[in-house]
Formats: sequence, structure tokens, C-alpha cells
Amino acid sequence: MKLIGLAMALLGWVIPVVTLVISQSTTARMVVCLLGLALSLVGILVVLNKGHLKEAIWKA
Amino acid sequence: MSRMVKLSSLTIMLLLCGLSVWAQSQSSASGTTPATAQSSTPAPAIDAPLNVKMAQPPSTDDLAKGDPGGTKTGTVNDIVVSDPNKGLTLSDAINQVGQNRVAINFTWTLITGFLVMFMQAGFAVVETGLCRAKNANHTMMMNFMVYGFGLFAFWVCGFALQMGGCAPAGTLGGANPLNSEHTISLLGKTWGIYGTRGFFLSGTTYDVAVMVIFLFQMVFMDTALTIVTGAAAERWKYAAFAVSSVFMGAITYPLFANWAWGGGWLSQLGVNFGLGHGYADFAGSGVVHAVGGLTALALALIIGPRIGKFNRNGTPNAMPGHDIVIVLTGCFILAFGWFGFNPGSTLAASGNGALRIGSIAVNTMLAGCTGSFGALLYMWMRYGKPDASMTGNGLLAGLVAITAPSGFVNTVSSAIIGLIAGFLVCISVEFVERVLKIDDPVGAISVHGTNGLWGVISVGLFADGASNYGGSWNGVNGSVRGLFYGDPGQLVAQLIGVGTLVGFVFGLSYVANFIIDKVVGQRVSAEDELEGLDIPEMGALCYPDFVLKPNSTPAGAMVSEAAEVTMPLHVARETA
Repeated sequence: MKLIGLAMALLGWVIPVVTLVISQSTTARMVVCLLGLALSLVGILVVLNKGHLKEAIWKA
Repeated sequence: MSRMVKLSSLTIMLLLCGLSVWAQSQSSASGTTPATAQSSTPAPAIDAPLNVKMAQPPSTDDLAKGDPGGTKTGTVNDIVVSDPNKGLTLSDAINQVGQNRVAINFTWTLITGFLVMFMQAGFAVVETGLCRAKNANHTMMMNFMVYGFGLFAFWVCGFALQMGGCAPAGTLGGANPLNSEHTISLLGKTWGIYGTRGFFLSGTTYDVAVMVIFLFQMVFMDTALTIVTGAAAERWKYAAFAVSSVFMGAITYPLFANWAWGGGWLSQLGVNFGLGHGYADFAGSGVVHAVGGLTALALALIIGPRIGKFNRNGTPNAMPGHDIVIVLTGCFILAFGWFGFNPGSTLAASGNGALRIGSIAVNTMLAGCTGSFGALLYMWMRYGKPDASMTGNGLLAGLVAITAPSGFVNTVSSAIIGLIAGFLVCISVEFVERVLKIDDPVGAISVHGTNGLWGVISVGLFADGASNYGGSWNGVNGSVRGLFYGDPGQLVAQLIGVGTLVGFVFGLSYVANFIIDKVVGQRVSAEDELEGLDIPEMGALCYPDFVLKPNSTPAGAMVSEAAEVTMPLHVARETA
């Protein structure tokens, strides 16, 4: 689960960067950036964090 | 009577007309128009000796009498002469002007760098004050030695990776030993990745201007490193802290800083893709604070919360710090140091729009002020009392948020940015603790991570196009402008920067600290943590004359299991 979260975080960065080359439209680039950011944040704050919460010290 | 008045008025008018005609005849007789000027004498050769006596320098006898009024000190006699046999030439005078400009900029950059270095003291006491007394020695020592570990790593390789290909800083003299950037060609574009000149500050980088740049960049780097110590306080192994800090100073921070400030690909988004002026971060909301805050997030996830922070049902317990006095004093020290952080980032006090240093300083003050207002209001309205530690964090949040836009915005925007930061830090602290269940003893993730990202975004919104730092920024002509002033492309560039911080910087920090956890072990044992890290890790108590509480469960743990929030201590006591 942690690996998936990390992968989502990295993918959320790579996709907007690649889109810079594909599209010239400022609006399209902005939308893809925001979507990529959302993907990264979900990957870190939801998926990766859940992976850590499973083995949290206060659940022992 | 009326006839007398009319006669007097007429007399005065005639007098004035006469005076006017006389005045015009005088000015035309002086022969100032080029058409009537005599043939001009040719300009002296640039290396011909000048007649110094015409400048009326003070004589030796004059100088022997002292100069209480300061009118005889600093004259033509003080210009450095290249050839004493020839005496003062025009070339000498022109060179002196250039040297003076560079000297002013050197002095400015160094003095502001010294102020930023002093911020280490501010961070140290803020973090220590927000921790429990049994960990005070350990927390102070982390903040003390992060200076040494970071400086060493930066000198060995971090500076070279960051600034090795950054091109000359025109404000500090035109020499260009930092001229080697490793680039890759991808998708039809050239992407600057890291510099390759300046390891150990040796070779051609043994240069006066490079030394100034190194000092200034180093103290910024150390600010990022010290942020991380706050999030991992009270349970971080000292050895792991040392390894993690060296890695961050050598690799993580310099990489992103190269991309933003060292001529790397983020700064070239404007040149390569037409996105405004590329990623613009005047003094480092992203480069310094978000890098620090996101690394802090990665470490907090790996290291886990302190024992007793969360109950079995996931509700958090308050763990108040032991000294609010030094927390707020530390906040003042940081606010003072920030006058070096932001205005110093012009790297100049002469030329190239550098006189904006006053505006930048005022923007900084204002954002800190409204940041503290925002936090104060939020806590007062929500919990019924103004909370000291959150108000201090509000000040810091405002300062963090204004760091990137400080050189590009006006005072109204600064106030707004700071106010939003003040509210944002409170909301973020609650979110991190209550929703994410991540333990951050000092709020580093919220102050520096959340508001660092807000600062980066605010450039793309509020930059007003009024600044002019040499007519261009990141290789794109004109001034930086945000969405509200007509350039949506700038906002996209900022969002790419945010995405890089969240995706790449967090990812790299997470992987690095994960490896350190497996090899060295990040967290102390449960016994050491409950005892307090001062004795097990440092071998000495911070306060040996004081009797510390033997019970290590949180002093503010008066929250019932049904409660969903961590209440400030004063509220918990009232409801107990």
C-alpha cells in the first residue's frame, strides 16, 4: 500500500510535466496540474498514510 | 478709490512685463543653446592623468586638523590609483564606481546572510520550548548541530549541485566560475538537472563573489534542514538525525534549489514553455520552507507518533511544550532574521531594481503581522482564548507564505497572503493531527509545508508586475505577473513547482529516510522515549536543577475518549 501511495505521488508530478510538451493551452496545462496535484496528495495523505496507520504504535 | 486701484494694477502689470523681457534677454545672452555654442573641447583619453586639483581635495595640513564634520573624508584622494607614476585617470575613477557598486552589494548580501544564520537560534528555542523539558537538551542539540552537518554537506557537494551552473550573479561582479550545468534532452527540450562546479569551493570557484553566494545560500539551506528536526522531535535518534541532515544538505535540498534558483528546468519553464517567467520563488517559500515541511511530513510518517499522543480510538492528546517564553522570543528572533531572508534575496542594494529592499522588508513585516492576527482570531473564536503557541505559529506562517512573493507584490497583497496563512496554519494543524493522525510536536508540517506551498501559489496569483530586477526574470523580459494581474501562465509555472515539491521532493525524502530507518534506525526505544531523550541520547539533562514530572503521559491528557479534538490545555482544565 505504501508503494502504491508513493507511486501515485510521483505520477502526480510526472503527468503535468509531460503535458507541458503535449499541450500548448494554458487552461489545459492548469487543469492537468491541479489533477496531478490531487493525485499526489491522495497518494500521500490517504494511501501512504493508511499504510503507516495500519502499524501505528497506538494500535498496539 | 477705484481709479487708484486701477492705476496701481496697471503699473504693476507693466513692471512685471518689463521684468519678463529683461529676464529673457539675460538667458539668451548666456549662450546655452547648442546652435550658438563654441566648438567643444575633446574628451580626455580614458587613461590620461586627470587634474586632481580641480576637485579641490583637502591638503595634508587640512587633514592633520581632523574632520569632525565629515566634509573632508571620502574625496578624490580616496580613489585607488592603478599607476602611481601616472596619477589618477578617468579609467581609475570609472573602475572605482564599479567596485563601489559591487562592494555595496557584497556587504548587503553578507550582512543579510548573517541575519539568516541567526535564525538558527530562533528555530532552536521555538522547537525546544514546544517540546517537553525532558527532551530539551536533545532538541537544542539537533538544532545546534544541524548547522554544522548542513554546512559541511553543502561545502562538500551541495553547493556545487545547486549553484554549479547558475551563471553569473551580475550584482556581485561579472566573474563566472559557476558555469557548468548538467542537462538532459527530453521531449525536445533541454532540462537543467544539477550543477557540476564548486565542490569544496576549490579551483576556479575559489572566488570572492562565489564565497558571498555560498554563505548566503548555505544559511538558506540550513533553514530547510532545521525545520525537519521539529516534526521528529522527542523520538528521533541523534545518529539518524545526523545522517538524514547530511543527505538533505548534500542532495535533496540542492537538487530542487538548482531547478528553481540554479538555472535548472523549473526556472526555465518560461523560456521553454512560455509559462510566465518560469517558476518564481523570490526567497524560498518553496525551495526552503516547503522542502523542509514536506521532508518533515515524510519523516513524521516513517518515525510514527510519540507514545501517548493518540489514544486507542485515535483521538489525540495535547502534549504542551514546557516554555512559552522562549517560544515567543524565538518567534521574534525569526521575524528579525527574516529581514535578512527576504530583502537579502535581491543579492544587491545598488542597481537592478535593488532599491525594492524597503518594499520587500515591509511586505515581510505585514504578512507576519496579519499571519499572527489570523491565528489569534481563529483560536480565540474556536476555543474561546487566544493561544500563545498558535499565535506564534501564525506569525511564522505569514512569514513563510510571504517569502516567495515578497519581491513581486504590494503591501495589500502581502497583508492578504499573511492573513490567509494565519488561518491556514490553524486548520492544517487540526487536519494533520485529527484527520491524518500524524504527530508533529511543533507544527512544522503546517507552518512550513502547507504555507510554503501557499506562498508558491500566491506568486502566481498576486505578483503585480511592478518590480524590475534588471528588466527580466529567469531569462524572460518584463516583470513577474500573476493571474490577478493578467498572466495565468505564471500560475501554471507555480503549480508545476508545487507538484514537483509534493511529488518529487516528498518522494525522494521518503525513500531516503526509509533507507536510513532500515540501516540506522530512526526511532529511539520506547524506554528511552518515556524517560526523555536527554539522558539516553545526550548523557545530560537540560535542566539538572529542576525536578521533572516522573509520569511521562501528557500533562494535558484530560480529553475524554468521546472528544474528537485536541483542546488547548486551558480548555481541557475547564471542562475536566
